[in-house]
Amino acid sequence: MSIFTPTNQIRLTNVAVVRMKKGGKRFEIACYKNKVMSWRSGAEKDLDEVLQTSSVFNNVSKGQVAKKDDLSKAFGTDDLTEICKQILAKGELQVSDKERQSQLETSFRDIATIVAEKCVNPETKRPYTVNLIERAMKDIHYSVKANKSTKQQALEVIRQLKESIEIQRAHMRLRLVLPAKDGKRLKEKLKPLLKVVESEDFDDQLEMVCLVDPGCFREIDELIRCETKGKGSLEVLSLKDVEEGDERLE
Amino acid sequence: MGHTSLDKIKALQKNPANVRNLCILAHVDHGKTTLADSLVASNGIISSRLAGKLRYLDSREDEQIRGITMKSSAISLHYASGEKDYLINLIDSPGHVDFSSEVSTAVRLCDGAIVIVDAVEGVCPQTQAVLRQAWLENIRPVLVINKIDRLIMELKLTSQEAYTHLQKILEQVNAVTGSLFTSKVLEDRAVKEERAEEDKEEGDIKPAECPGSEQVYDWSAGLEDSDDSQLYFSPDQGNVVFASAIDGWGFSIQQFAQIHSQRMGIRAEVLLKTLWGDFYLNAKAKKIMKGAHAKGKKPLFVQLVLDNIWSLYDAVVTRRDKEKIEKMMMSLGVKVMTRDSRHSDPKVLLSAICSQWLPVSQAVLFMVCDKLPSPLDMTSERIERLMSVGARRFHSLPLQTQELKTAFMQCSSDDTAPVIVFVSKMFMVDAKALPQNKQRPLTQEEMGQRRELARQRHTERLAAIQQTESGEGNAQSGSTTPATTPGGDNTIGKLRVSQEEEEKETFVAFARVYSGVVRRGQKVFVMGPKYDPAQGLRMLPEGSTSVSACLPPVPHLACCTMDSLYLLMGRELEELEEVPSGNVLGIGGLEECVLKSATLSTSPALPPFIPLNFEATPIVRVAIEPKHPSEMPKLVRGMRLLNQADPCAEVLIQETGEHVLVTAGEVHLQRCLDDLRERFAKIEISASKPIIPFRETVIRPPKVDMVNEDLGKQQKVAVIHQVKESDTLHLDPSGLVTLTTPNRQATVGVRAIPLPEEVTLLLEGSADLIRTLEQAGQAQREGRTLDMSTWTLDALMVLKSRLEVLLQGRKWRNAVDRIWAFGPRRYGPNILLNSVEGYQRPSVWHCLEREKGEKEGGAKAEASAIRDFDNSVVSGFQLATLSGPMCEEPLMGVCFSVERWDMNFPTQRTHLDSVTEKDSNSLDASVSESPGEAVGQQGASGKAGGAGETPSQAEGAMAGASHGRLVDCYGPFSGQLIAAVKEACRHAFQAKPQRLMAAMYTCEIMATAEVLGRVYGVLGKREGRVLQEEMKEGTEMFIIKAVLPVAESFGFADEIRKRTSGLASPQLVFSHWEVISSDPSWVPTTEEEYLHFGEKADSANQALKYMNGVRRRKGLYVEEKIVEHGEKQRTLSKNK
Repeated sequence: MSIFTPTNQIRLTNVAVVRMKKGGKRFEIACYKNKVMSWRSGAEKDLDEVLQTSSVFNNVSKGQVAKKDDLSKAFGTDDLTEICKQILAKGELQVSDKERQSQLETSFRDIATIVAEKCVNPETKRPYTVNLIERAMKDIHYSVKANKSTKQQALEVIRQLKESIEIQRAHMRLRLVLPAKDGKRLKEKLKPLLKVVESEDFDDQLEMVCLVDPGCFREIDELIRCETKGKGSLEVLSLKDVEEGDERLE
Repeated sequence: MGHTSLDKIKALQKNPANVRNLCILAHVDHGKTTLADSLVASNGIISSRLAGKLRYLDSREDEQIRGITMKSSAISLHYASGEKDYLINLIDSPGHVDFSSEVSTAVRLCDGAIVIVDAVEGVCPQTQAVLRQAWLENIRPVLVINKIDRLIMELKLTSQEAYTHLQKILEQVNAVTGSLFTSKVLEDRAVKEERAEEDKEEGDIKPAECPGSEQVYDWSAGLEDSDDSQLYFSPDQGNVVFASAIDGWGFSIQQFAQIHSQRMGIRAEVLLKTLWGDFYLNAKAKKIMKGAHAKGKKPLFVQLVLDNIWSLYDAVVTRRDKEKIEKMMMSLGVKVMTRDSRHSDPKVLLSAICSQWLPVSQAVLFMVCDKLPSPLDMTSERIERLMSVGARRFHSLPLQTQELKTAFMQCSSDDTAPVIVFVSKMFMVDAKALPQNKQRPLTQEEMGQRRELARQRHTERLAAIQQTESGEGNAQSGSTTPATTPGGDNTIGKLRVSQEEEEKETFVAFARVYSGVVRRGQKVFVMGPKYDPAQGLRMLPEGSTSVSACLPPVPHLACCTMDSLYLLMGRELEELEEVPSGNVLGIGGLEECVLKSATLSTSPALPPFIPLNFEATPIVRVAIEPKHPSEMPKLVRGMRLLNQADPCAEVLIQETGEHVLVTAGEVHLQRCLDDLRERFAKIEISASKPIIPFRETVIRPPKVDMVNEDLGKQQKVAVIHQVKESDTLHLDPSGLVTLTTPNRQATVGVRAIPLPEEVTLLLEGSADLIRTLEQAGQAQREGRTLDMSTWTLDALMVLKSRLEVLLQGRKWRNAVDRIWAFGPRRYGPNILLNSVEGYQRPSVWHCLEREKGEKEGGAKAEASAIRDFDNSVVSGFQLATLSGPMCEEPLMGVCFSVERWDMNFPTQRTHLDSVTEKDSNSLDASVSESPGEAVGQQGASGKAGGAGETPSQAEGAMAGASHGRLVDCYGPFSGQLIAAVKEACRHAFQAKPQRLMAAMYTCEIMATAEVLGRVYGVLGKREGRVLQEEMKEGTEMFIIKAVLPVAESFGFADEIRKRTSGLASPQLVFSHWEVISSDPSWVPTTEEEYLHFGEKADSANQALKYMNGVRRRKGLYVEEKIVEHGEKQRTLSKNK
């Protein structure tokens, strides 16, 4: 009868276990913490900096080394380094704290950058800086979701930010050319989608230069395409309507 | 002396002969404000006991805390010398180099200056700077050698040593003045020569005007001719005062000459001449002899002057000999209060004695009144300088303007004299501090009223409480409460309004009247810096000397009313009705039309004065953000106010949306931030390093590696970026990238080529021109014509021909005509080149040709046919150039040559619009021709080529696409094409050796010879490169020109000033973009490189550092390990 003695308990403190199930068996390797993601992204090129040991286990915490037969059956090779590389590349793991932190930080920055790129201050037509957006995001307690794309989240952030600061998506400047007979009718349909009509020229065909919300672009495109049967056209004059150049405050 | 009344000052102002406008200038901590304190104390405004400790003119809180002056402030003092009463408008100025702009504002308004030099430290950098400033503004300086007590108490010099020391200091000061003088003479000469040459050139046209004598060349440097004896400081001239402002004493030689002439029976004039210099008293002969130094005798100055002071200090401070002090006081005729004589600190007694014996204010004020010019004596040279803006000569100004010079000279306060006022800065004052808003003691009546009001309010409140109580009881509260609340709201509203009014701060202009009388409510013209009197006179109706509201708009001329006039009394302002000529004053109500500085006049003939001459230009840049993003508007408003209030600060909004503040130095920055926080914006702000822009470019493959080894050919393969090839993307070793859209209908082949440097420069310089060209092209594609001036057309033709000259060689054959577009934003320094064989499209220069008259018949129809997809390609290119693959910064100097572009559509051929058929047919035939050739080169595109349908089919598909039948799962086709072109461009870019480009400043540094080495050290540390170094003629200053990356410039000014103890002052101006030679993706590969840089080589790669910095800022992926060494992590678990 064995008595559980905590003193000789072995703690795996600096170990990140990467698991993979293959051929009905579970294989594990022991790696250093915070290193596996670097390996996967290619930043770390030295395998010895990633692996604690090059042996493959069935269970790392119990110290059970995988049998050679099982390995060669599952992986078709008995080259341990090769197998380790495979497990590293495809196995599942618990992401360590620093890895997660840097991941979240990066995507937070990324979202802020996207928002700053897409949006302007409607009063000055000038973009906000990334720093300011980051601060505003913190103010509204936005939390980054790791499983959503940054662009998606950025659009979400813009919507939420609108409540706290003066912000709007930079408008796109479009030129619409519509045949005369469809012009009137289409114009009515387009009206709600256009933010500002800058110029309008109606002689043999209707030509309009207008600012629209980038979100409506596809809708407008579709509308013009279908309604005019390809005779109307649409041209992007500028993707972002922002003030250019430096301005001296006076 | 008692407090001088306002009426007295008003009376004094009317006599310009007895007005002195002067400022106090010196290096930081040489005792300007302390001296000012003594002078202020002499007028009874502050206690003389506090003089030197209070620093009355340092009214800001941070000035008091830091102990340095940060702004120039004025005070009017009264001084009676014998029969005459003088009014002294004293301006105290800061000494710190960061605030030298404030010195400029002070100097401009003055006629004279008191230059203070520390007796211990001698001439310091700022002393030189202020002397130069005074010199440039043509004002006369007098010298005060301050802190002589330190020679006694700290350095323990004997009186003899002190004398030599003082002599040395005087020599130093005079040396600076001398060098200023020589440099001016040399400059004058250079100008004269230039003028002479100009005259000669003019003379060719008008030979009659050219005098023959000009032809004789003048070989003398002109130094001998010009008299400089008046310039130098010398005690016997009476323009030097020796003082210790902290102890409250100071004297000039005259005082001692008078004292001793009585005692010794030598004539005062003789003593005056001999008291300073190498003279000694022969006691036996009772004669003054020359050559004290050679004979080892005590000079007269030591014997008669310094020894007395030394013995006083010895008795009072060192020995504390009661009896001796008594005896001395008796002989000096000084009486000291017992309180002072019993004080434990001997300094108190000392200053009590000294301030009676040799009061510093008397000595200084007497010298000032005696030696400095009054407003009446303004030299004509100075007036001409003030009035001739830019390189214009005074004589070229209109006649009416020249007549104004007499007004200056007369400085008369007649009503007929034109009013001329110069505003040198605007400063902010709490509305509360303005005299009209000041609280007066209440009269009895008002008190009664208030009491009544309070009583009323009290009863109301009681009634309301009762009502609500009863209302609750009777459930009738609904009817009663509304009756009471509106009243309450009203009062609260009123309170709020009055509070806002109180919080509002107003600008007061710091100004001086040069001619005429300024009255309250008077209307004047405000001349902007670019105002041209000749133009103004032409446009204004004849004889409109009075300023009326209905004037034709003249550029740079505005009209405004002076709402209120103030007498500046340090922190206080006194309201005035009128201010006569020659006085310094404050003007309220100009904030609408005056920014920083301005010239005001009733005569439109007056040219604006030359801009203030700033010693330090603003170079420290920071980006400012509000703590709470919603407070942005407040910040913008605050920054605007700051800009108006600070003569040297600049604020701007950059394209990135950053609000940038540019200041002269770190201390100045700190003050600006404090001002923003507490006065102007009243919000929390944070200042950070500004975003540093970069550009991305490609270069020709380098021939040598990092250790200058020849690369040979092997590198070529390595250079090519490891792009993951997929079935849609193909890369050939020569750098051609072909990419197919996801729906496999179009394939583009793009190659990136570096543009020659000159071309990039040219394109960057002519961005505006290209934009017009682009607009014209756009208009033309729609069948409209945009009218361009012939000038623009000519400029465009020149641009084109210059491009043709620059783009030569086999590679660039016909390149200029094949330019498809510029980018990013259609006018940047990158080119999209149409190298698709056979694809004819109108080049960007097309509109030019048409303007020339070569009208092409089918141009319009053709244009409409290609418009759809041509535009997509251009858009893709624009996107690619806007953000490069390295760190999403714009590209620069890259040419993307589209070498393949084929379309094939699986759809059936459809009928075509008859109009477009022919043109587009030819177009597409040519487009589809190229794949055949491409197939020969690369197998991967074989599929595309093989499947290539007949030209007409493809063409049909194109039409079909525009008919909207091709809605596939990848979205609209034009979008796909844009993405494909963008990706292709990016990959093509990566296939070449890529480099970052850094923004560079040109940096001009003025430094003296002894700190040259340190300047080089700082430059070297910050990756700067010295371009040239030359000595300024006539001075010992060196001018160093260098380039410095913007990325390294943060803190540069501070560092260089610290390292050179302020002897070097840099100026930074953005100049150009420069390729950073190291490759950001470089890792050591050869043996030599490993040897030289080690395995990681992370020290060598500056470009990588920059790139990673940008990527990290933007949240892009940075190829960095989270943990460097896995084994070295802390291995303890949390619960242990």
